[in-house]
Amino acid sequence: MAAIDLNTVRSTIEGRINLELQSDSPKIPVVFNNVSYTPQLGDSWVQCLINFGDNEYMSMGGTTDSDNLVVGVVLFNIYTSTGIGSKDNFVIGKRIRDLYNRINVSGVYFDPPVGPEVVSSSSPTGYFQTQVRVTFESFEEL
Amino acid sequence: MAFYRGQQGSVKFDDAGSSAAAITATRSWSMTVEKAVLDSTALGAIHAGNVGGIISGSGSVELLYTASSGDETNVFIEAANMGSDAGDAIFELYLDTTGTKKISFDGLITSADYSATVGEAEVITCNFVTNGTITLDI
Repeated sequence: MAAIDLNTVRSTIEGRINLELQSDSPKIPVVFNNVSYTPQLGDSWVQCLINFGDNEYMSMGGTTDSDNLVVGVVLFNIYTSTGIGSKDNFVIGKRIRDLYNRINVSGVYFDPPVGPEVVSSSSPTGYFQTQVRVTFESFEEL
Repeated sequence: MAFYRGQQGSVKFDDAGSSAAAITATRSWSMTVEKAVLDSTALGAIHAGNVGGIISGSGSVELLYTASSGDETNVFIEAANMGSDAGDAIFELYLDTTGTKKISFDGLITSADYSATVGEAEVITCNFVTNGTITLDI
């Protein structure tokens, strides 16, 4: 086997959210790591941030015939209009939650999502913001 | 002086007792070599006397379930459920990746614990005892 390709994991995660929010109605813009985006006030949009975190030993061995566990987290910031309640925001949150809840896609195992949790001070300001966090694991077979 | 870490270890096994093959996805192994103690205290002695008796070994190997088939790993995890075990399987427990520091012996798998826990990799623990000579090349 081979060392894990982080961009394969990234594209698996990003491709899934992009397909969901761009192909199904209503379409909602998705912004990924290190992509510039100027939101239109009043529009709903989602920011998807992927972070790779801990790596753990899974089995004995050196640089070959051994296994590691790569752990990461996907953070979704969901932005909707202010002053209209939380319904619209939670509808998007449910779509995202259902998209990753306990699934295994291309060897990436997603845990039960956390949230959507309300963020008291939206960043950028002028939105009602919630967060959905999904930790994930992938086995690296060297 | 040298130090070693657990990931440098490995386990090899062959149920046919000829050529040991690596057990895949091994997480850990442990082994206890035990010597029976015989009381040799003479009548009237003030202090107890002891001499060494029979030496035996036992231990366990923990590995991840990988659905392997047709190899020694598959035989290893199913060995506890096989009858007519002559105890002539080869075990080799390695302490380093160079493959020169090992404990080897003939033995048999006496029990296996299969477990699945939500959110974790599935693990199998096989327990063994030795049969005959234990060779320490450590």
